[in-house]
Amino acid sequence: MKLGVLALAAAAVCAGADLTVLPGHVRVDPFGQITAADRGAGVAPARSMVVESARAAHVSCRLVVTSAAAAAYTLSVSGGVEAELFREWFHFLPKSKAYIVDALIPVALPAAAQLPAADNKVAGQTAQSYWLDLWVPANARAGAEKVTVVLEAGGQKSAVTVEVRVLDARVPDKDAVVMDHNAYGTSWFGGQYPGLAKKPGFYLSDDFFGLIHAYHRVYYEHRGVFHQLGYGHGGKVGEEFAPRLEGAGKNRHVADWTYYDKHYGPLFDGSAFAKTRRGAQPIPYVYTPINPEWPASYLWWGEPGYEREFVNVVGEMEAHFRAKGWTKTKLELFFNHKKRYKAFEWDGDETRFPKDFERFREYQRLMKAAMPAGSPVEWVYRTDASWQMERQFKELAGVINFWVCGGGMFGWYLEEGLERKKQGDTVWIYGGTPPVARPSSHVTKELLETWMLGVDGFVRWLTVAPGADPWFQFQGGGETLVYPGERFGISGPLASVRLKLERNALEDLALLETYSASKGAAALRAEVARRYNGTEVKDWHAPRPRLADGDPSEWTNADIGEAMPKDARFDEKLDAGAWARVRAYVMELAKEGRR
Amino acid sequence: MRVFVLGLAMAAAGFAADVQFVAEAATAMVDGELVKQIQTAKSAASMLKKDPRDPWAASDNYDVNHGPFVAVKKSLIRLSRLCPGPCDLNLWMPLAGAPGKVQVVIRNRHEISQFWVWGALTQDMFPEMARVLASGERVTVRKRAGMVSVLTPVRDSLDEIVALVEVVLQEKVDPQENVQ
Repeated sequence: MKLGVLALAAAAVCAGADLTVLPGHVRVDPFGQITAADRGAGVAPARSMVVESARAAHVSCRLVVTSAAAAAYTLSVSGGVEAELFREWFHFLPKSKAYIVDALIPVALPAAAQLPAADNKVAGQTAQSYWLDLWVPANARAGAEKVTVVLEAGGQKSAVTVEVRVLDARVPDKDAVVMDHNAYGTSWFGGQYPGLAKKPGFYLSDDFFGLIHAYHRVYYEHRGVFHQLGYGHGGKVGEEFAPRLEGAGKNRHVADWTYYDKHYGPLFDGSAFAKTRRGAQPIPYVYTPINPEWPASYLWWGEPGYEREFVNVVGEMEAHFRAKGWTKTKLELFFNHKKRYKAFEWDGDETRFPKDFERFREYQRLMKAAMPAGSPVEWVYRTDASWQMERQFKELAGVINFWVCGGGMFGWYLEEGLERKKQGDTVWIYGGTPPVARPSSHVTKELLETWMLGVDGFVRWLTVAPGADPWFQFQGGGETLVYPGERFGISGPLASVRLKLERNALEDLALLETYSASKGAAALRAEVARRYNGTEVKDWHAPRPRLADGDPSEWTNADIGEAMPKDARFDEKLDAGAWARVRAYVMELAKEGRR
Repeated sequence: MRVFVLGLAMAAAGFAADVQFVAEAATAMVDGELVKQIQTAKSAASMLKKDPRDPWAASDNYDVNHGPFVAVKKSLIRLSRLCPGPCDLNLWMPLAGAPGKVQVVIRNRHEISQFWVWGALTQDMFPEMARVLASGERVTVRKRAGMVSVLTPVRDSLDEIVALVEVVLQEKVDPQENVQ
């Protein structure tokens, strides 16, 4: 027996190099230690792992190669499950002087590499981690599949195994909640893709539109939605976001659709996603370029010419979409400007003063004038609400039908928001993205909150801004879930560990939702809350405070902050293993379902 | 090479002359009485207060009266159509009760300026602006490469200078800039 154990240990260690496996939610540093934020999960590196999975789902784990001495090695993966391997980049966080993984660099299998990794420039690096994605297709056979990962270094081999127990259950295509990822314009391409952008004529080239589509694709492949606003606070539209217009007043019209169609055609007919696992599907939502300065000039606001310019062009847009068959995407009438930026006299976004509501009503009137009755082209009227949310729910009911509400404050008006949903409106909430230094489970909190509240989606307000130097002077990643791939010869975004975790949680949640009918939605929510962080469903929304009875135009941010309950279970006490416990519950339900 | 540089200089000079003309028109056309009515009194008072609990209070309370804002903005848009290329007319005002401070009050489509720092509610008074407000002179400014601004005074019915307009023109427009 002793001999057997010794042989087993020797098998995993070759020439001083070692290979272990961890669940995806437990990260390591470049010295082989579990990242401090994830230690609460109570998981240690192992030689083997057993995971359960539904079909049409991903299973992920982390492989860790360690070697005290410099080593060249190869990693190969074999088995009956489709595998993708990604090297994890160690980002240096100057504030804490710590390294943490997030960006995922695709590597071809078998992977040949060196430790230390020269490009990552970590002094004394003794460990390199890899994210392993295993795809269990919808037609996979139920039963056990073994995946073997072999490390070869110094002429010796060692291996770890991942046993995937495939269940009968299938993750549905439709998500329980929409996770939306927001961005603004394309000017940031220049900073993030300097090699591409310096090519003459890059902007508006095929490479340019290809890059835009690549951003949509990376989020789509991770069960997310990508939004990219195409106009500024002063109303300037990017030529890639709007058709070119000519003329004024009664003569204003669309002169050229070329760039608009190059941008949006593949997104509206789904062909931009043709080679993905999820297949070609049109994007569900899109910002339109409509703003107070486009298509009508604000010079004529309140005068006949404004209406004529607006109705002419929006009417042409409707006809163009109808002719192209672009009728599966909801086109958003959405105003992003704020009066504090001094270009317009009313707040389109996070409206602070009720006197501005009249502007929303006027644009509804204009839209009705522009749209022919019975059009198959679907427009939605979106507003992002915070200060005046409660009053907007009441006074703009029937005007706005797509509500994107400040996440924390939404809890105060939960009943009113759910009433809007009951009336057929779409209701999302919005907020940020947990930075990398938080425990890994924090990236699942927003999607779970959305589901707990019973609303339709969550917007991460900015998800493409990794900062000036995410590689060696990282500011934390609170405004990104992807990274520019140009450094690694890839003309597109790299996914992150957090995006993978978000995707996996979305898959679990989609499956969980299928048990609502048999188990009862309330019971599911109660159990998920208990397992995730020891809470009850009622803890997931802030109760209405006394402050809400006052005039929101008198509130300060500090007032709002003080009115929000503080609960460490959603913050510093939320451990890295939180989602793993939810997933275990989903798998239990899946197995029950089989019985 | 010299001929080319001379050509550029001549083009730039012509550029400035065009902008100068628009600036003169702005002084003639922009109504200082309306300008004074743009910001609400409550908002103006809020800008002078410091809330240690909330650094964003002044921005959150920023508010304008719709009518005067729209009327003046329309004048600025109309004047911008006299420019030889894409340009903006930005309205700037000294901050009442805060000597040495200035704020942009109306911006326009291209969001270009040689002075505005994105998102700043108020800024320290620029010497060029102080000169215009004090003397009524028109001042040409070339601080940023490829941009030319002419600062021109705005007067009220008492012939007091109450504001100024920055007519700003960018020689090479970046179509992607300020689309965010």
